[in-house]
Amino acid sequence: MTGGAAYSEARGSSAAAPMLHLDGIGKSFGPVRVLEGVSLSVAPGEVIGLLGENGAGKSTMMNIVAGALQPDAGELIFNGRAVQFASIAEGIQKGIAFVHQELSVVGALSVAENLFLGRMKRRGTGLLDRRAMRDGARGMLEAVGATGIDPDAPAGSLRAGEQQLVEIARAAARKPKLLILDEPTSSLTPHEVEGFLTFVRRARAEGTAIIFITHRLEEAMSICDRLLVLRNGAVVSDRLPAETSKEQIISDMTGKAAIFDHPARTVSSADVALELTGLSVPHLLDNISLTVRRGEIYGLFGLVGAGRTELLEAICGARRIGAGEMRLNGEPLAPKSPAQALGRGIALVPEGRKTAGILPQHSVRRNASVSSLRSVASQGVVSASREASAVGAKLQALRVRMENDQRAITTLSGGNQQKVIFARTLLTEPTLLLLDEPTHGVDVGAKAELYDIVRAAADEGLTVVVASSELPEILALCDRVGILSKGCLAGVLSREEMDEAHILRLAFSEHEKEA
Amino acid sequence: MMTHLKTLARHREFSIFLMLIAVAVYLSFANEYFLSQRNLMNVGRQGAVVAIVALGQALVIIARGIDLSVGSVIGLSAVCAALTLQFTGSDILALSAGLATGLAAGVLNGLMVTRFRINPFIATLGMLSIARGIALLMTGGIPVTFAGWAEVLGAGRIFDIPVSVILMVVLSALVHVFATRSVTGREIFAVGDNPKAARLAGIDTVRIRMFVFGFCGLLAGLGGIILAGNLASADPNLGMGYELDVIAAVILGGTALSGGRGSIIGVFIGAMLMALLNNAFVLLGISAYWQVVTKGLIIILAVGIDGLRRGDEAED
Repeated sequence: MTGGAAYSEARGSSAAAPMLHLDGIGKSFGPVRVLEGVSLSVAPGEVIGLLGENGAGKSTMMNIVAGALQPDAGELIFNGRAVQFASIAEGIQKGIAFVHQELSVVGALSVAENLFLGRMKRRGTGLLDRRAMRDGARGMLEAVGATGIDPDAPAGSLRAGEQQLVEIARAAARKPKLLILDEPTSSLTPHEVEGFLTFVRRARAEGTAIIFITHRLEEAMSICDRLLVLRNGAVVSDRLPAETSKEQIISDMTGKAAIFDHPARTVSSADVALELTGLSVPHLLDNISLTVRRGEIYGLFGLVGAGRTELLEAICGARRIGAGEMRLNGEPLAPKSPAQALGRGIALVPEGRKTAGILPQHSVRRNASVSSLRSVASQGVVSASREASAVGAKLQALRVRMENDQRAITTLSGGNQQKVIFARTLLTEPTLLLLDEPTHGVDVGAKAELYDIVRAAADEGLTVVVASSELPEILALCDRVGILSKGCLAGVLSREEMDEAHILRLAFSEHEKEA
Repeated sequence: MMTHLKTLARHREFSIFLMLIAVAVYLSFANEYFLSQRNLMNVGRQGAVVAIVALGQALVIIARGIDLSVGSVIGLSAVCAALTLQFTGSDILALSAGLATGLAAGVLNGLMVTRFRINPFIATLGMLSIARGIALLMTGGIPVTFAGWAEVLGAGRIFDIPVSVILMVVLSALVHVFATRSVTGREIFAVGDNPKAARLAGIDTVRIRMFVFGFCGLLAGLGGIILAGNLASADPNLGMGYELDVIAAVILGGTALSGGRGSIIGVFIGAMLMALLNNAFVLLGISAYWQVVTKGLIIILAVGIDGLRRGDEAED
């Protein structure tokens, strides 16, 4: 390393000069201080796990490193040189690759074209050299363990997880010196995660410095060399995975001791609240029969594409069913729209907070009240005071942290936004609550609070169906779990029968039949 | 008081209001005739139809749609009302026929968008041509005399104030209250902000879209009656190009074309500004052709400034 001072590392697995060194980075947006005196080093061939609750400052920090934002204070040393990137393009040119959590593949182009975006291969005639791109794409995909993706498929036809792998492949192919991965595994199947982690290990062996942002603690502990926890814009801990525990990391993140025990609930009622008989949706769901008791928290587990979301959509009228019937509290249920389902007391917290949950230009209050306006209106005219008090009480009960509820919902952290969506559904006083990936991308602290909210509501007699791809969530929350595999109900397990291996075996059961 | 002023200054309505004042002050110095009651009432009358139709258009655009057909629907409604009067001699039937024609065109637009999932731009572009064509077919291209109650609406005065201006003010106030306070009004904003989220939150998005298109058509029908009544004649070419003025007024008033954001007060001021600018061209003796060019520039500028402003926000 030439031209730079030797940086002594306080900690770390490598004695080499750091690839990236941040010193006293500060950043404010207006009066809000987002980062304060953040310092960290990443050595070549080192994987750093960057953890923290939503709103802790992780994204801001990584945007500064990548060149998307300029710091107000502090120094950024990359590859031995003090740098100040003016743009993302400059960061890329210097060898920084940032794979964002939000997907940015171009849906209409093929996977290969996406991988070669901006530097497509041409033949002498000026036309695209499709074969060279296809072969190149195959190699790039293999490198990240995504051998199953067809380079010719339109990128828009891929699952979210596959699109994520395409983006990772694109970043990896640039052979960056520093690779930043923001929640890369949140939509990957267990199999894909394995392939991806193999890629991370290989990149590390080749000397790439990697910053890995994740909410999945197990994963971070297994792959990272060091774990950094960011809280309120400052680094609060820097630990070696071998010398720490999950509980310790959680308490670093939340600033309080982690309480993660989940007592078994007793469902007193024997009444059947929801009954599905032979429910089918062409190509998606096949002959699903199940019953959910009143006050029960019923889990729906399955791999990506198993039909969890589709089943919830069928129940709430967002998707037409092909065959079978549904009953709610003994009465036939056949809603043609979510509006009709809401009339029957069915409320949904949808998957995808940004795309299907929040109204981004609306205030917190109006986001919360939008489903229950009629209950605070007389003769079709909304009473502002009744709306304010109904929403205010609910937001307080759910402990939504915010300045005031007239602010735009986008000013809240992800976990708090999700609480507002919860408030929206609870304000409709539903009898059946459907939750689709309710804590996706939500930090640990907010997760625990959301679980408490669900449990409290169920204790009061609300029937809850939770669709989730996160096993710990199912195990923490549910009284029973129905496991879907490729659109079929592979089994139903009671709380006593639930364990990780058993659930996963059922989730893969239909896949194995094919093999 | 200061914080009040600050929130006021942040609002788009306020900046457009300042623009309105600036143009008015300039004109009052540039032309002595401008402030005369007769001229001001003329401005009000000219702005009234644009403003009334813009109220409906604003709701459509807030719900993330657009209605390009309003100009033709104005013409068709006027023709239908005038012909009904000619054949039945009944003013009530004539006005009802005009309003019903507008409503029917709007409902058809709504059905095309909700049932057949045709992009609103294309659906209403088709309706723009169809409605104009029917108006021409019904009249053979020749204007129909249109007197009676329509003349009162279009050219009448109460205490020296044109009836159309009174209608405009009353309707604006009603629609403003409707948009901000009613359940349906609030749901219109929600649907425009994030249609998918609104649907999953239990809002009947089909009903909302049908409503805004139907309402916009109804107001276009009313606009047609006023416009024809003012001339005492229903020309099948009546209202040609009005969609541009109407959409310009809506956008000038701070309504986002991407939906979910807008205010009726802003739309009202936007329509007044458009009328004032039209008046300025006449008073200052500038070629009417320049007026056509300017209208296009205003639309582009209004959207452009909005885009720049929002771009700044996004980069923060």
